[in-house]
Amino acid sequence: MSKILQVEDLVTKFYTLDGVVNAVNGVSFELNEGETLAIVGESGSGKSVTMMSLLGLIPMPPGKIESGTAIFNSKSGQCDLLTLDPEQLREVRGGQIGFVFQDPISTLNPILTIGEQIAETLIRHKGISHEEAREQTIKLLAQVGIPDPELRYKAYPFQFSGGMRQRVVIAIAIACMPKIIIADEPTTALDVTVQAQIIELFKELRDALGVAVIWITHDLGVVAGLAERVLVMYGGRPVEIAPVGDLYKDPKHPYTLGLLGALPRLDAKESKRLESIQGTPPDLLIPLKHCPFAWRCDYAFDRCWKEIPPLIKVDKQHQVACFYDLEGGGPRNE
Amino acid sequence: MSEVQKLLEVKGLKKHFVIPGSLFSRSKRVVKAVDGISFDIQEGETLGMVGESGCGKSTAGRAILQLHKPTDGQVLYRGKDLTQMGPEELRSLRPDMQMIFQDPYATLNPRHSVRKIVGEPLVINGRMKKGSAELKDKVAELLVLVGLDPAYMKRFPHEFSGGQRQRIGIARALSLDPKFIVCDEPISALDVSIQAQVVNLMQDLQEQLDVAYLFIAHDLSMVKHISHRIVVMYLGKIMEMTDRNALFENPLHPYTQSLNSAVPIPNPEIEISRQRFILEGDPPSPANPPSGCVFHTRCPLAIDECITVEPETREINPGHFTACHLADNKGGSKIISPEKSREVS
Repeated sequence: MSKILQVEDLVTKFYTLDGVVNAVNGVSFELNEGETLAIVGESGSGKSVTMMSLLGLIPMPPGKIESGTAIFNSKSGQCDLLTLDPEQLREVRGGQIGFVFQDPISTLNPILTIGEQIAETLIRHKGISHEEAREQTIKLLAQVGIPDPELRYKAYPFQFSGGMRQRVVIAIAIACMPKIIIADEPTTALDVTVQAQIIELFKELRDALGVAVIWITHDLGVVAGLAERVLVMYGGRPVEIAPVGDLYKDPKHPYTLGLLGALPRLDAKESKRLESIQGTPPDLLIPLKHCPFAWRCDYAFDRCWKEIPPLIKVDKQHQVACFYDLEGGGPRNE
Repeated sequence: MSEVQKLLEVKGLKKHFVIPGSLFSRSKRVVKAVDGISFDIQEGETLGMVGESGCGKSTAGRAILQLHKPTDGQVLYRGKDLTQMGPEELRSLRPDMQMIFQDPYATLNPRHSVRKIVGEPLVINGRMKKGSAELKDKVAELLVLVGLDPAYMKRFPHEFSGGQRQRIGIARALSLDPKFIVCDEPISALDVSIQAQVVNLMQDLQEQLDVAYLFIAHDLSMVKHISHRIVVMYLGKIMEMTDRNALFENPLHPYTQSLNSAVPIPNPEIEISRQRFILEGDPPSPANPPSGCVFHTRCPLAIDECITVEPETREINPGHFTACHLADNKGGSKIISPEKSREVS
């Protein structure tokens, strides 16, 4: 498998009136071709800001990408997403990288028809004629499971339900056969039966098109059936990266362990008391000199209050940023 | 079950909203948000209420507390019908029935200190004097009860996180020693790790204070976790009602089965091998509900009878009610037959 995206040490800050918000503090990860990577975290963990930084969607000011590289192996060679000029970025966005956001109603333009919005992407990126674009759009609408695509071409977003709108956004995302789709909480605003439909559609399209997916979510349930690898974020840093099976069976970071314990299980016979994580997420206005999770961690010891734990390899594909060895029951030997 | 006293009995509760005709059309439309639901709640019990958006679960909660005037039906609190009461009589019962709302940001007055927010119900109901030491002590006691530092009393809502604000809302609801609390999506706005804190708190409080909850939510796994019995709603009607384990081990209504099937389980091994049934389409508009069984437009098992005749709620097994023509204890209403699912697993 070849790497399609390699992000190194991304740091994004926001300079606000209240102070400097340290939203993303050194995120590194890689994405292989055709792979689904889930980025999991609570609000304020920096998962969305990471993706917005890659897509050049951070409003500057107040935002600023302080450091980092994001090497994208595109169809036309390598480039660093963080150094592209706006014109080049526009080529990549919607062309080679498609994206789906949480709220489809604010993603779609309310005064353009569904069809026009999909065709627009095709015309812009592929340079094809309006007639060709229309034909392809109708095919795309059918592909994402919208009934009567020819009729629906002329419909406006308000005439669609939430699930149907999200299908339209997905059609726009896949229109130009991207190499990567970035999906930021794409099912959070939907009802559970509709969420299941959209996840199923995503899986189908991913397998049919061989596209790599970065799926950002707070829901560890959705991730279990969808992703191949999972990156857990906390306080703007990655705390654990692992193949999906390993992460659920053998979490190495106390935060991941806590998150899994905090979830009620539909398949549980007895209702056990949930294991809650004490306290609240860190204030990002304060630059940290120690582990961001130390306040809430049951296992924190003196070293956790002095240094920021780096991501270390504990297994071939399993990385964790923690000084404590959960298995061994003591500080990790290095 | 008869030994436990029924705290609340809801009989044929309806709440219809009339949408006035526009300038150009005289015809009025009626949205049947809640359309004839019946259930009861015992003392100290948690009844979960689940359903997708627009199924009328929040309206039902509000209609029970008479925050919406019900269109029809009865709500009996300890045998007394709330719908027939005048405002004075109702007010005298209000302390017993409280509510916790979804959005802790919107339900706390930003200009009031925590002390005022939590203590106000006690002052209004004449139990304690404004500014008295007794009131201050009671507020401190309530804050400790919900896991907040009494020193926070002088602070204002904006100084708290979402989870802490929800705790303030709970302290306020508990200030009058209620017997029954309607919890309308109390944890939906909170992060996963904070949700667990609030749910644990609610369960602890129930044990200590013997308060009954109507727990309204769309998160099936959380409802299963906290409830003793569960009501499943769809388009203003009750589809199924039973205790928590029966609902997940032996769901009778096709809608309940598809809801169960749609909820992801945080375990990759189960998720990958799981046999799924995914419902097609979206829920119809409650302003124009389908004829017969409201679920027939999405039901994979629907027969002609379902389109024309509305199914009655029947007790299939003791304490297990469902409104489906096909339901029986031989698996007549199962989308995925038990034999098949065994083969797969």
